[in-house]
Amino acid sequence: MTNSQVALLILLFPAAGAILLAGRGWRLPRIVTRIVGPGVVWASFLATLYLFANSVSGDFTYWTWIKSGSFDVPFNLLVDNLSIFMCLVITGVGGLIVTYAVGYMDKEDGPSYARFFTYMDVFVFSMLLLVLAGNFIFLIIGWALVGLSSYFLIGFWYHRRSAVLAARKAFVMNVVGDVGMILGAFALFVTYHSATYAGVFSQLQPRICGHGGPCPQATDTNSLELAAFLLLVGAVAKSAQLPLHTWLPDAMEGPTPVSALIHAATMVTAGVYLVGRMHPIYDLAVYAHGAVAIIGAVTALFAATIAIVQTDIKRVLAYSTMSQIGYMFLAVGIGAYTAGFFHLLSHAFFKALLFMAAGNVIHAMNDEQDMRKYGGLFRQLPRTSWSFLIGSLSLVGVIPFVGFFSKEQILGAAFSKPDASLALAVWAFGFITALVTGFYTGRMWWMSFAGKPSPDRPVEHPHEAPQVMLVPVVILAVLATIGGFIQTRALGFGPHLVDDFLKSAVGAQAWEGGASEVIATFVTMLLAVVLFLAAYRIYIQHAWKPWTAVVPWAQRVLERKYYFDELYDAVFVRTMDGLARVGLRYVEEPVIEGILTGTGELAEAGAHNLGLTQTGYFRNYVLVFVAGAVVVTLLILARVSS
Amino acid sequence: MSGFDAGGSQLDTSWFLLLAAVLFILGTIGVLIRRNPLVILICIELMLNAANLTLVAFSRQLQNLDGQLFALMSMTVAAAEAVVGLAILVDIFRHRDAEDIDDLSELKG
Amino acid sequence: MAVAGGIGVISFRQPIRSVLSLVVVMLALAVLFLLLSAQFIFVAQVIVYAGAVMVLFLFVIALLGPAREMGKSRLRFQASLSALFVLALFGLLWAMLQGVTYRQPDKTVDMSLFGTVQSIGVGLFTKFLYPFELTSLLLLVAAIGAIYLSRKEGDDR
Repeated sequence: MTNSQVALLILLFPAAGAILLAGRGWRLPRIVTRIVGPGVVWASFLATLYLFANSVSGDFTYWTWIKSGSFDVPFNLLVDNLSIFMCLVITGVGGLIVTYAVGYMDKEDGPSYARFFTYMDVFVFSMLLLVLAGNFIFLIIGWALVGLSSYFLIGFWYHRRSAVLAARKAFVMNVVGDVGMILGAFALFVTYHSATYAGVFSQLQPRICGHGGPCPQATDTNSLELAAFLLLVGAVAKSAQLPLHTWLPDAMEGPTPVSALIHAATMVTAGVYLVGRMHPIYDLAVYAHGAVAIIGAVTALFAATIAIVQTDIKRVLAYSTMSQIGYMFLAVGIGAYTAGFFHLLSHAFFKALLFMAAGNVIHAMNDEQDMRKYGGLFRQLPRTSWSFLIGSLSLVGVIPFVGFFSKEQILGAAFSKPDASLALAVWAFGFITALVTGFYTGRMWWMSFAGKPSPDRPVEHPHEAPQVMLVPVVILAVLATIGGFIQTRALGFGPHLVDDFLKSAVGAQAWEGGASEVIATFVTMLLAVVLFLAAYRIYIQHAWKPWTAVVPWAQRVLERKYYFDELYDAVFVRTMDGLARVGLRYVEEPVIEGILTGTGELAEAGAHNLGLTQTGYFRNYVLVFVAGAVVVTLLILARVSS
Repeated sequence: MSGFDAGGSQLDTSWFLLLAAVLFILGTIGVLIRRNPLVILICIELMLNAANLTLVAFSRQLQNLDGQLFALMSMTVAAAEAVVGLAILVDIFRHRDAEDIDDLSELKG
Repeated sequence: MAVAGGIGVISFRQPIRSVLSLVVVMLALAVLFLLLSAQFIFVAQVIVYAGAVMVLFLFVIALLGPAREMGKSRLRFQASLSALFVLALFGLLWAMLQGVTYRQPDKTVDMSLFGTVQSIGVGLFTKFLYPFELTSLLLLVAAIGAIYLSRKEGDDR
């Protein structure tokens, strides 16, 4: 079995699973779905491990898909350390989540059950295609398919109107991003006449001078900037960053495993992957590059503030995701690519953990998601509570959990980047965000697990989730605990396996930190912990007044999510509505309906009129005979005389 | 020999043809104008006779007996047709009052 | 006389008079056939046509009663349009007869033998044998048809 075949297998397993489940899944016994659904993802994971273990790397072309003039699109997969890294995350964490879903979705009936796993497998396939693609066209295909899978999965419970609307919203915003991305790819093609990564990047190489920045004599950065900005639009939409972020909280309408997989661990990180993959471009397009960092930083703080006032446990996690991805954007935006991807990995661990643990709680509480109705779950759901705590501490960035190492590496990189005021500015954002993160995470944990049970509790004696739902959670908790030790750069010393691994793909971080970086790191952590505990004082002991009492207007702003939804509704939705109405009245009804029914009416009228000749009167018919005879005679005469 | 000789020989073929034409036209008018089905059938017979006249006239002109033989056939067919037509008429009008052929307009539409 | 008879055919209100006019026409035509050296046709016309067919018509009229055409015609434009086309047709026929020259016969035939019973018979049994046989079949069919059509109701024999 050659490496290229193994690489292809990574894609084929989930595709096969999806096809099988789509065609036959609802007719076969449930056990088949339970095995095939997660099974194919694990199979892909094994294939990926194979490639990882053998340090495979290569650009494998399987066949030529389109060849038209200089537009040459092969079906090729680019296997390098970055794509292997992403595949490990997708198939590994994805495998755990899909396995978890086997238990979570058990209440569904046969056809729906199979449908869910079909969609999940389709999603895994699409995401893998996205990260393995070796050219822009297949990247776009994977990109769009991922958006489509997200639509299917968010709207999985399609009888719920809110779910349908959320799915639609997500899809529309994703499409906006898709358009940007496609235009960006076109811009690159127009300039560099190649659709493959290898083709485009090879032409950029000469422009990169020794220290990693553009050469002074490099021309043509304008087209690169344009392309980079357009690609950024796609990344922003997919990763739910400002300003294309409003779909992510609504996406929580989907089942919890969906939130875990798509909206925490994988799909939303596609934007980060994109910037990383396109780093030769972003290294040269400095303005776009800076924009990445700014967007990330602002989104991180923005989302964290909104998370403070959320009452739905999944929404807290959704905004938290938005915020953490902001960190990743921040990292890749300033050139600390490996830090960004390390946080991607770490976030996949602890966010999936958090979502799944939350799923356990929701499951135990009869689908109740309002945290105000929780309280005191620690004693009754010990294992879930501990896992959730591990995830929370990881999120806050507390040593020794993996979140500490990854988040602090990012902040450290921003803090210590030489000659960059931008980096320092975004560091400030990241710093404040970390503190706010501590606060909202604490609020979330204390409200749900500590204190006295709420009187509105739907279930008096909740019990733990079944094994199939607990085991993945525990596994992730373990990973979140020990995972940090593969890269302890935040401490200024120790292993840096992630850096080493990804160096070949995205380049090494070009600067080193110093002691001040480590000090800043610990200060951040301590302050975050302080706020974590402060939440306890406020919400459980009610010792201090909640800040919302002090500035009530701020609470309103946050609850309305800074009025973004209202803004978009007024500007875009109503406009489109109006346009649609105009179109209906002036185009659809008169023209199109007119043509359709008009053709029918025309045929009818014609038939009716023709039918008038069938008078039934013998004498009329004879008249016609005679008239015919006259005509014929005329013709004969005419012919004879000519 | 051209038709309508100035010599006024009544045996010129053209006169016969002209007569046949007139009779034919009269018969056609009859079919178109009259409403009694019986009369219509009679007018059809008239038209047939006119055609026979044409045939025989040409037969003599070209001195070929085929015209007469054909006219004989035509006569036979006309007889048969008259018989069948009358039988149909009788059948139809056994139940209705036989006056107006316009009453038989069930194939309308 | 033929023309007069023809006009009579179409003009009389009472069908019986139309039939009688047709008889007049047929007799006139018979004489004309004789003039055209068609002796056999002359005889056939008198016997078959004027004799048998017209008698048949008379019997039918007797059977159905002397109906007259009543009321106004339901077809409003029938008369005017008919006049138009018929006149057109007549005009064309007349035009065709103007200045026409006739083909000369292929071979001259002894006119005294032309159209005799003997020559007709020869023709019927040689050149026109096939149509002759078919015509007899046709007459058979017509006879059967007429019998069938005129049977009484409920009579399935």
